[in-house]
This record gives sequence, structure tokens and C-alpha cells, in this order.
Amino acid sequence: MKNLNNRIYDQACKLSGIGMLLLGVSYSLPAIAADYPQAGNFSNGSKVWAENCNRCHNMRGPKELKDDQWISTAFHMRLRAGLTGQETRDIITFLQASNTKTVASGSTQVSAVISKGATGKETYEKTCIACHGNDGKGTLPGTPDFTSHDGALSKTDEVLIDHITNGFQSTGSPMAMPPRGGNANLSATDISAVLKYLRDAFGK
Amino acid sequence: MKCSCYSFRRKLLSTVISVSLPVMALAEPSNADLQAQIDVLQNQVTALNSEVQQAAEWKNPNTLIHMAGYADVGFISPEKGNDSFVVGTFAPIFHFQYRDVVMLESELEFEVGEDGETEVNLEYLTVDWFVSDYATILVGKFLSPVGQFRQNLHPSWVNKLPSAPPGFGHDGAAPISDLGVQVRGGFPLGGMRANYAVYSSNGPELNSETEDETEFELEGIRAEGFGVDRDGDKTLGGRFAILPVSSIEIGLSFSTGKATVTELENGLEPPTAGLESGFIEGEIARDYDVIGADFVWFTGNMSFRGEYVKTEIGEAATGVTTGEGAIWESLYTQLAYRLPGTKWEGVIRYGDFDSPHNSQDVTQTMLGVNYLISNNFIAKLGYEINDGVTGSPVDDDRTLLQLAYGF
Repeated sequence: MKNLNNRIYDQACKLSGIGMLLLGVSYSLPAIAADYPQAGNFSNGSKVWAENCNRCHNMRGPKELKDDQWISTAFHMRLRAGLTGQETRDIITFLQASNTKTVASGSTQVSAVISKGATGKETYEKTCIACHGNDGKGTLPGTPDFTSHDGALSKTDEVLIDHITNGFQSTGSPMAMPPRGGNANLSATDISAVLKYLRDAFGK
Repeated sequence: MKCSCYSFRRKLLSTVISVSLPVMALAEPSNADLQAQIDVLQNQVTALNSEVQQAAEWKNPNTLIHMAGYADVGFISPEKGNDSFVVGTFAPIFHFQYRDVVMLESELEFEVGEDGETEVNLEYLTVDWFVSDYATILVGKFLSPVGQFRQNLHPSWVNKLPSAPPGFGHDGAAPISDLGVQVRGGFPLGGMRANYAVYSSNGPELNSETEDETEFELEGIRAEGFGVDRDGDKTLGGRFAILPVSSIEIGLSFSTGKATVTELENGLEPPTAGLESGFIEGEIARDYDVIGADFVWFTGNMSFRGEYVKTEIGEAATGVTTGEGAIWESLYTQLAYRLPGTKWEGVIRYGDFDSPHNSQDVTQTMLGVNYLISNNFIAKLGYEINDGVTGSPVDDDRTLLQLAYGF
């Protein structure tokens, strides 16, 4: 009888523990968003992507997967890399914006009109710095070194603007730079400004 | 004269009007024509809207089904023995996700054994409940969060060398997987970042060996996610890692609980009357304790990582495998460098594995050269320099070729 009482007591303790855990979890649960995944921060997404994925494996280019595939992949990697929910949403936003084709010329004109006229430095720090780094030497394997004498900046403006606008596969790099660095909102004016900044800051 | 001029003007005016009217009719369509054009355009816009909506239905549906995974094939050439082509692993990973609420993820592992038989294992199967931005509850069979290699680095397209470090494979010092409940996540910590995993699980089991089939002694730990807790005590464990800067991660791990011998060498089974299947009469639950530490530093084209794990099994005063406890210990460090502007990568790894059995102990240096055909399709060439007890299998140096593909 004593054994039976002990077993009942044990089971009751376990059940109450599980119940309290579920109660605590349900209390802290956020309301389910009307739409998902909620829009993240593109700029932070590119930064978190560049800082985390390479810690364990080679980088996967944004164009390798479609939008919905990136969602599942990012949630899978959230667990593996110990990312927060916000970081996951930021990465999804960056990757989904970066796997699109080159923006059509008509859209380019519109974006040029609505561009707020960010400086080249601002555009670089928002869109490019995650992969190319604060010093222009590149943070990811295969990213060109802007400070190299015979490097990427030895090319003409026309060639570089084409590379920035349409994306570019560097020699020796297994991953291509996405068009407009993944930021489809960059206007022709922004691209010209960022190229001027690259030459001023890193060109020799 | 005046009359003829007036007549000329009238003729000219009537001529202009008669010519202009049809032209004006062409230049300015009637309201009916305009309405017809608008109707056509409206229909086109409606059709386009419908197509866009249908396309959007599949862009971000509430339920996502996704498959990823990896596979590798290769060639192994031991110094003592025959060269062999091998199919390493085919490991599809399935994701079934409902919005940002829950994800079921599972990895199967297909391997071809030496006898040609195909072996299938459930590497992991968890239901992941994303309860907040900082915590996810995983229930099921999960990869052990102890250290980095098992949970993050073992897939062949991620592992920069064609083999696992000694002691981090099956029956090594590091636990492989476990079955239970786990909470894990990440959070900012001042100007730094941190991540964590804590779990409660069924824990591992032990096996034994014998020379005369009458006396048995502890042989190894089987930490591969058992579906029943034969020792009756839950195992607790976890890992806490800190990233002082984004390029450095330092982690500490632990696991503690009980484990009992459930397998006797040669399949010998003493009486188990009244006990759970697999529980050997008289065997007691031994102490089971694991500690681990790991780090990684990566910058530009270079990555440097290392890991240490120690597993200790306590003594057993009674039972079939009566005897002292035992310790399994393993560590490795690995440096990888990608030649700038190329797809070539060089890797060097040093590893050491100590167990209670000298015949299993090995010190290994491995050199590797990788060619990254793409970032997820890698050709690897490695050479293992193994130093174990002379004549034992682990003392044999090996050349390994591997094609690894992550998808």
C-alpha cells in the first residue's frame, strides 16, 4: 500500500511539473502573427548571415533556394546556430530579397526617383559591409579585397557598375554577389555613390 | 467678283468639313469604343490579379514542406589492407513547418555496410515548438548538444575532412544523440551574444566484454538515443556558449545521470525474470558524467576550432560487470585555410582519444586538401596518420577521398 501511495505521489509530481511547465510556456507565448514570417531588418539580416553561417559551414548563396525554402532552412539553422527569433527573421528578409533576379529597368527608374539620396558610405554600411567588411578586405572566403592594387577596383566604372547592378561571380569564389548586393531598392544614383565611396575609401 | 469669291469660300469650307469629319472620327474614338477598350484592359488586369494571387498562395503558405540533407561517396586506401570504394552516407533531412510556430524535423541516415546490406537509422526526429524569440522546446530524439561536432559539424559537406575526429564518432567519448526534451535558443548578453541548450533524457546504456564468458567487464558507452530508460534515472545535460565577438564562440557542456549495462558480449543473457527487457539482473545503475569544452575562431579565409570531451562511468559494487569505473577522453584541434581567390582549402587536424582499452586508443594527425567545386559540393583528399597500439586496427594510416554534397 505504501508503494502504491509512493507511485501515485511520484506520478502526481511529474504531471504537476509538466502542467506547470506548459502553463508557463503558454503564458509567455506571443500571439500568432497575422502574417509570417514578420518582416525583418534587411541590413541586420545580411550582417547576421555573414557573421554566423560561416562559423560552421561554407556560405550558401541567396540564390540557392526559393523564398519558402529559405524560411524552413532559416528556422532549422536558428536551432543549430543559437539565433534569436528576430535574427532569424532578419536573415530571411535578407535572403528573400537577395534571391530575386535583376530588377527590370522600369523599376530602376522608379526607385531612382524615390531614392532618398543616401551617401555612398551610408549605402556601403547598410548593404555591402556584411560581406566586404569595414576595411574592404572581405569577411567571407572568396570576397575580393578592394585594397589590393590589382584587385576589383582596378576595373573601370562601367564594368563595376554593371557588376554591382547585375551581380557578379568572382574568380575563385564559389558564391556570386547578388544583384545590387541583395538590396533591390538601390537606385542607379546609389550605386554610383557607393562606387565613388569604394574608390575614395579603399582605392590606391 | 464678290459673289464668286463668296461661293469659293463656301466650297472650301464644305470641303474642309467633309474631309475633317472622318479624320476626327478616327482621332477621337467614341465613348463606346473607349468603354470597350477599358473593359478589355479590366479583364486583363483581373486575370493578372488572379494569377498573381495564385502564385502568391505558394510563396509563403502556412504549411511548408522542405527537404535538405547531404550525401557522400568516396574511396579509402589503408596502408595495411585493400583499397575500397565506399558509399559513406545518404542523409535526407525533412522539415514540416507550420508558420513560425512549430517544425517537425527529421534526419534519416542510410549507409551501405561491409556486407552490402543497407542500414537505416533515425539520426534525429524532433518536434520543435518556437515558444518565444529566445526559446524553442524540442521533444523527441535529438543530436547531443554536448560540444559542437555532433550537433553541427558531422555532416560530410560541413566537416572539412573525410573522417570524424577520433572519439567523436560512434562508441567514442562524445555522446551522439539522446531522447527526451530540450530547450534551446540564443539571446543578447550586453554587447555580446550567447546561446544555450538544456535537456532531460533517457540517457545512454553500457555494453560489456568478456574473455571467458563468465566474467564481464565494462566495454563502452552507447549514447545513441534509446527509446526506453532502463536505468530509471533521467539524464540532465546542456551547453552554454558565449560569443564575445562575432568571430569567436566558446562553449561549455555537461551531462550527468545514470547508465547501466544492457548488453553482454556474444549475446549472452543472464536471467531477466521480472525485469524490463534488456535490463540485466543484478546490474546497478552506474554514475554517468560528461564534461566538454569547445571553441571556434574564424576570420576571412581561416577557421580554427577545437573540442574536448570527457565521459566518466562510475564503479559498480555488484552485478555481472562488477568493477571499477572507466573514463573516455577525447580532444581535437583543427585549422583550415582557404587560399584567397581560389577554390582550394588546406586543413590540418590533431586528435587524441583515450579509453579504458589500450587497443582503442589513438593519436591522429590528419592532413587534408579540399577543392570547393561549389560551396556545398566539395572534393576532399585526406591522409590520416594514426598512432595506436602496434598491430591494432587504429594504428593503420589511411588515405581517404570523398565527394560530399549538401543539398
